[in-house]
Amino acid sequence: MHPGDPLRPRSIVARGNAIDRFVRRVRRISTLCGFVAAALIAAGVVVVCEMVFVRYVLNMNTIWQTDFVTYCLIAATFVGSPFVLMTRGHVNVDVLPHYAGPGARRWLAIFASALTIGFCVVIAVLTFAFWKEAWDNKWVSDTMWRARLWIPYAAMPIGLGLLTLQSVADLLALLTGREPPFGITKERTA
Amino acid sequence: MSPGTQGTLVLLVTLVVLLSGAPVAFGLGAISIAFVLFFQGFDALHVVAETFYAGLNDFTLVSIPMFVMMGAAIGSSPAGKDLYEALDRWLYRLPGGLVISNLGACALFAALTGSSPACCAAIGKMGIPEMRSRGYPDDIATGSICAGGTLGILIPPSITFILYGIATETSIGRLFLAGVLPGIMLTGLFMLWTLFIIWKRGFRAHAPDFRYTWKQKFGSIPKVAPFLAIVIGVMYVLYGGVATPSEAAGVGAALCVVMAMVIYRMWRPRQWWKILRDTTRESVMILMIIAAAVLFGYMLTSLYLTQTLAQGIADMHVNRWVLMGMINVFLLVCGFFIPPAAIILMTAPILYPIIKAAGFDPVWFGVILTINMEIGLIHPPVGLNIYIVSAIAPDVPVTRIMWGTIPYVLCMMLQIVLLCIFPEIATWLPDHLMGAVH
Repeated sequence: MHPGDPLRPRSIVARGNAIDRFVRRVRRISTLCGFVAAALIAAGVVVVCEMVFVRYVLNMNTIWQTDFVTYCLIAATFVGSPFVLMTRGHVNVDVLPHYAGPGARRWLAIFASALTIGFCVVIAVLTFAFWKEAWDNKWVSDTMWRARLWIPYAAMPIGLGLLTLQSVADLLALLTGREPPFGITKERTA
Repeated sequence: MSPGTQGTLVLLVTLVVLLSGAPVAFGLGAISIAFVLFFQGFDALHVVAETFYAGLNDFTLVSIPMFVMMGAAIGSSPAGKDLYEALDRWLYRLPGGLVISNLGACALFAALTGSSPACCAAIGKMGIPEMRSRGYPDDIATGSICAGGTLGILIPPSITFILYGIATETSIGRLFLAGVLPGIMLTGLFMLWTLFIIWKRGFRAHAPDFRYTWKQKFGSIPKVAPFLAIVIGVMYVLYGGVATPSEAAGVGAALCVVMAMVIYRMWRPRQWWKILRDTTRESVMILMIIAAAVLFGYMLTSLYLTQTLAQGIADMHVNRWVLMGMINVFLLVCGFFIPPAAIILMTAPILYPIIKAAGFDPVWFGVILTINMEIGLIHPPVGLNIYIVSAIAPDVPVTRIMWGTIPYVLCMMLQIVLLCIFPEIATWLPDHLMGAVH
């Protein structure tokens, strides 16, 4: 992660081009994903507090809370991932990109971006198949709550599908020179 | 293909992919899928999604976003400034008092936020300009803050310990306690070194001719005391066996957010969003790496690479301290390039059986591993803290900051040696409070 990273990437100049429109729309969706993930984490905190109250103050059993909080955070991870990718929050090893020349840096960024897309597509398809299996066979959790598992599993194909979109938008922005490779705009002075 | 050749291939590909600058989580995931497909065929892919999901399906992991939120709530409030002021107003008349208050503030803020970059940024913003305006040399002013910031991952509550605890199934409570004494010792070592070097350079730091009034001295304390009380409360609840780490951290996070709202009047939705956004970014990043690292671990185990490596090292019959030395060098080199969370999640499952087989205490090793990660945070070429401090003091050349951090790297190495000679520094407190595990 670069310490000076902008949390909000530079806005794409409002041109009528199809690529601009695509990138802008994907970023809007990714920002929405960020809000949803933040809400899921906040819900997790609230439910943990409720669980502690019920368990330790009222001395009653808790049934659904542990599962619910865990599912919330799993969903936050997958759904929040496109937002984190957009704001360059997924850490990387940035030694080579920082010290490489502009040409090599661009190729590294293309490689890294293509690899990300490849992974996202494959894992999105695999998790969709996993979700479908849970849906078809009506799987439920083996805990007391007996939650229908297709609900938490759905976060995976949805989040990873949107992550694929964001990574494609990133690659497009990189290839067309709309974004600098790895967001590095100036040479490091040492 | 023999496991040795397979292992070398995996190592090389992992290095290439990570060094290319691809996000660690996606790089690890891509490597895992590629090797499962390559060595085990298309049919083996059906477990990938399940493994990826199972990596996150653990209530213990809930403690990560909760602790991150505690840190984010405190970090986005002016608590760091108040903590710094409180210490400075009490210690300003001592020779070198400013250094002690800076490093002390770093250590306390570390306990509050558990994050090295946050600690570096919060204390550095006040500490560095203040030290420079009082005539401290640039390399000492910046180097001490870089080093003080690293204490964030050693002094509990620390995300690094949670990750190590999860990856190796070691008690997180025990790890937290094991970090306390080494953390205090390391803070002491940093202070001693800084006092020595400013004394050697003929710098006799005395306060200017003014005195803070008692009102000023007590002024900041009521603002920071509640946060310290929350963190101490969370620790107490954890060790009293009252609640699990996730529950304690969840309540702690909620209380910290409420306190930030009440004490610092952080009512605006924009301020809430900042806390939630920072929590989301950091938690999602860590949790995604966890899911990918579990997949990576599955790939290594299903190809028998972990077992082959552990067996190979056992067959070498090297002295266990030589082995520990080699592991330390390996971790140091990793720390130069790779962020701590990724190193721990990738290497801990591989190193754990080796450490156990060689008769080392896994809790003690957790502390050694964490200090190694601290070194990586202030050592070039990655050294995240160096670049944070550089952003605070842009007129100090990066090379000067780097030179300023070297003595502190040596302090940390000394601490590792001390821990090897006297493992009790780490193990005494958990054994004393929680009973020995033998």
